[in-house]
Amino acid sequence: MREKTANRVFDTANFIVLLVCTLICLAPFLHITAISLSSAGPILSGKVSLLPVDFNMEAYSKVFSDSSMIRSLGFTVLLTSLFTVLCMLMTIAIGYPLSKKKLKGRKAFMFIVVITMFFSGGIIPEYILVRNLNLLDSIWALVLPGLINPFYLIILISFFNNIPESLEESAEIDGSSHFRTLLSIMLPLSLPVITTLSLFYAVGRWNGFTDTLMYITSPELYPLQLKLYQLIQNNMITDLLQMEGAQMATVVPESLKAASVIFATVPILIVYPWLQRYFVSGVMLGAVKG
Amino acid sequence: MNAKGRGAASSLRVNRLHKEETAVSLNAYFRRYWQLYALLVLPLAYFIIFKYGPMYGIQIAFKDFNFFQGIMGSEWIGLEAFKEVFGMRDFYLTLRNTLMLNFLDLLVSFPAPLILAIMLYEMRTLWFKKLSQTILYIPHFISWVIIGGIVYQVFGTQSGMINNLITSMGFEAIPFLTDKNDWLITYLLVGMWQSAGWGTIIYLAALTGINKELFEAAGIDGAGRFKRIWHITLPGLKSTIVVLLIINLGHMISIGFERPYVIGNLAVREYSDVLSTFVYRIGLQSGQYTLATVVGLFQAVVGLVFVLGANYASKKLTDESIL
Amino acid sequence: MISMMRKRGASQTKKAALVLLACSLLFTACSSNSKPEASSGTNAGTSKERVTLKIEVFDRGNSPAGSTITDNYLTKFVQQNFGDPNNIDVEFVPVPRSEEVEKLNVLMASGSNVPDIVFTYDPNTFNRYATQGGLTDVGPLLDEHAPNLKAFLGDDVLGYGQFQGTQFAVPAIRSIVGKYASFIRQDWLDKLSMPVPQTTEELYNVLKAFKEKDPSGTGGQVIPLGMTIASAQYEPLIWSFIKPTTEEQKYTLMQQLGSNDYPTLLPGFKEGLQFMNKLYNEGLMSKDFGLDKDKKKLGEDVSNGKIGFFSEDDINPFYDKGSYDVLQQNVPGALLASVDVYTNEEGKHAKPMYAPNGLYIMIPKSSERSVEAIKYLEWMATGDNLFKMQNGVEGENYTMVDDIPVTVENQTEEAKNRLYNSGDMAIISNGKQLGSMEKNLKARELQMPKKFQDQVAAAQKVANSDVIPPVLMDRPIEAQTKYATTLLDKFNEMIVKTTMSKPEQFESIYETMLKDYMASGGQAILDERTAVYKEMLAK
Repeated sequence: MREKTANRVFDTANFIVLLVCTLICLAPFLHITAISLSSAGPILSGKVSLLPVDFNMEAYSKVFSDSSMIRSLGFTVLLTSLFTVLCMLMTIAIGYPLSKKKLKGRKAFMFIVVITMFFSGGIIPEYILVRNLNLLDSIWALVLPGLINPFYLIILISFFNNIPESLEESAEIDGSSHFRTLLSIMLPLSLPVITTLSLFYAVGRWNGFTDTLMYITSPELYPLQLKLYQLIQNNMITDLLQMEGAQMATVVPESLKAASVIFATVPILIVYPWLQRYFVSGVMLGAVKG
Repeated sequence: MNAKGRGAASSLRVNRLHKEETAVSLNAYFRRYWQLYALLVLPLAYFIIFKYGPMYGIQIAFKDFNFFQGIMGSEWIGLEAFKEVFGMRDFYLTLRNTLMLNFLDLLVSFPAPLILAIMLYEMRTLWFKKLSQTILYIPHFISWVIIGGIVYQVFGTQSGMINNLITSMGFEAIPFLTDKNDWLITYLLVGMWQSAGWGTIIYLAALTGINKELFEAAGIDGAGRFKRIWHITLPGLKSTIVVLLIINLGHMISIGFERPYVIGNLAVREYSDVLSTFVYRIGLQSGQYTLATVVGLFQAVVGLVFVLGANYASKKLTDESIL
Repeated sequence: MISMMRKRGASQTKKAALVLLACSLLFTACSSNSKPEASSGTNAGTSKERVTLKIEVFDRGNSPAGSTITDNYLTKFVQQNFGDPNNIDVEFVPVPRSEEVEKLNVLMASGSNVPDIVFTYDPNTFNRYATQGGLTDVGPLLDEHAPNLKAFLGDDVLGYGQFQGTQFAVPAIRSIVGKYASFIRQDWLDKLSMPVPQTTEELYNVLKAFKEKDPSGTGGQVIPLGMTIASAQYEPLIWSFIKPTTEEQKYTLMQQLGSNDYPTLLPGFKEGLQFMNKLYNEGLMSKDFGLDKDKKKLGEDVSNGKIGFFSEDDINPFYDKGSYDVLQQNVPGALLASVDVYTNEEGKHAKPMYAPNGLYIMIPKSSERSVEAIKYLEWMATGDNLFKMQNGVEGENYTMVDDIPVTVENQTEEAKNRLYNSGDMAIISNGKQLGSMEKNLKARELQMPKKFQDQVAAAQKVANSDVIPPVLMDRPIEAQTKYATTLLDKFNEMIVKTTMSKPEQFESIYETMLKDYMASGGQAILDERTAVYKEMLAK
């Protein structure tokens, strides 16, 4: 009986704390949404907080009627999918062997990986490399240089390590090849972490744009975040723009910026809820192995 | 003499035998494991081409870099640039701040997602669990420029929302952003807010691996919720925690550019100026790539030492390691 | 469905990746050895085959539908009117506006795809490129090919493109050099029946009255002086405290950080800070000014009718849906008057002005098309080419009124889109160029909303009176190139920290900050400038 009350207290407290956290995390998103739906006057005078003032959809109709935004969305989806799939293939390909403690040379390979977490050649040689590979101004310039993230690789290896070796060994005794073991045992059992890392790769690619600034010149290959960045940065960098003086570019309305933020964020936001079901199936498999 | 000769001959035979044996076992080893090496080929090629290929750029640290001569054509200057960097007052200030902010982050922002993940895991109301999970990670998707604007509106001294509340209750406004100690708290809270929800994802993935039967057994034993968390949930997360901790320690000396840059301001520059903003100033803005590379190299070496140290310590203490 | 598509895509892409990776192995060997292509002798001008001229263009990501930054009305205009007649293909190389210098650096260092014409607003970048020997000496080319351009720019402006006597850049000319004006709530003054303040002293009394008598009716939220940490707000105040300087002081004590001169070491600077400290501690100034880098908060407070007085870029408050416009919506009857108040010892309203130049236009040494590049600039300065690039088509974009092109109201979408990037394409001039400063100012005034044009005219007049011209040294100061960014931060930090300090701590904080400033490069600049000044005297 006492346990039950204690449980109820725990659950209620848990609910309340989580609710507060959730609201705090939701607020800024509501704020941006509110701005995207308000008109210039109230925004400029700072009157918009969580609800739109002087409601209108003008900004959204502008965003959706801009064909370059729509095209950019399409390109970003393609880029992100391509990137995520290739990244996961590569990360799994190296992660599986490196999770085998018996593998000769494993330490050396790990060292090769870990070094790259800290040392890099810098922006200029990287640019030269991409140019020499003839990748400039192509989708591959945004895909190939980032194929394996050592940090994610290490996470994957640690998850592989947590799968009981007995499972693999029994498969090996059955004469299963390493490829088969990987495909039929390791991958299904690691679905949650694979989903997670895919999400990490996808979100990283979706939100990243600094490489685009260097490698891409054709507007057809602009990801959404780059367009967003240009929109937001344009009148942000006052130090830089000082010298321009009378030449200042036209000011982008705040509501349009906010609407573009929403437009560029929502598609990737809904990926996670959609992926969550793999977490559940992972639980079931987890029960099998025990 | 004779005995010696016999001894030598036999040892030779043993040697030969041993060699044959290892040859056979190596052969068998590769026959058994060639598939694993085959898997490694492409990824290793990737690392060699895209990561090690450009590393010749590190020599910029030892050269008087000239844009028009390129990396190879620039003149060697030995350790001169190192002397210059190590002689800069700002270098030590930003180094101190980087370590300080990262250390505080480790205390505050590192445990936050873990606690949040456990809370989510313990949540019984399923619809709310799903909903809050999705909402909690939204801040990760809002760019720092926008967060900066919001932080200003919320924490500003004169008309920030929180201070409006405080002053309306008759208290003195708190300079959250302009007093350096208050600013530290703001910096940490905002960082935690931005990253905690996102950080739960990896823990939630790890939690799916915990055997549910253990919980049931614990339920029969009448163990309380906290006991269950302590004895079952946390041990299930141990390896993930350790791996994340080691990597975090490796990055103690590197710090993202945007967060301190956007939340920081001139009034608290004493604390908010960090290595990344320092490098940005001397490298990208003043075109002194040599100095920027020196700082980068310094960070890399220290980072590597940290991660190896953390890895070693963890191996001794918890038997978990990343290498 | 989606997952199926992904799978199919993946197998194809994996093949592609394999091929690419295989190829890349072959290439990496050479990647580390690549050097910028050495410039081979210029064969331009001799042959008549069609050549390509590559020109940098700023990309702000604001191309309207149907246009791209490399293919739009103006690029076509250039191709048709300059390219085709001269047998030249003009190719525009976009560079993101916000990463301008960074990208240029990478292009230069990798020696690839370097445009034949590059430009930057940053004098330090120009100096760096010149020091490292990467630029073409355009002096002889200008003499030979560009009489119109030389006349258009004038010797004064061209001087800004010289580096130790060699013409390494073609500086653009700036059409309007005035920067700042100040603005006061006329309706508040009327309410308190106070006259417009004429001196800093009188302003102080007005600010006090604004605070104490609260004509705003905002219930104590009034901010008498709107302040930020952007130069438009603090410079007019601080420069009015700078004491009259000798020629020597002007050359040696000034600190040029980036494109502006800073008075850190000039006599009077400290008094300026002290005045700010006083205003701050008496609650007469925006409390969070040190956070407001982009003037967003200032704009908010102005349009909410909280601010009584502020300084700003002369025409900034007057845009359509700008802060004055919104102020009038929020506070019916609010009146903002353009005024000139801060006064220095000599009774002048001293304030800085822009250098007469804009962009530094440069031709990399590796370019084989330097002649064509200069010809392009010459073409732009010839006849009505520049005018057409800046104003578009008569009747559709503008009509002539008293010799001044006036923008047509209610333009068609097509007409509007013509000129979205004209500021970045017409590189030889910053701002519309109509032949005289008077006309340039008038044209700018006419661009603004009709109801504000009187105040715009007044503000422009303020901005152009008693201006302090920038100091041009005989040769570039290396220490400035090196330390400018760091010192600019320190300079702003000094303003914020000294202003926000308690009055009794002002002295010690000022001393500490100045020491730090000097140690971080300020002293090096001072020394170098003193040396250069001595050289100049010796001549």
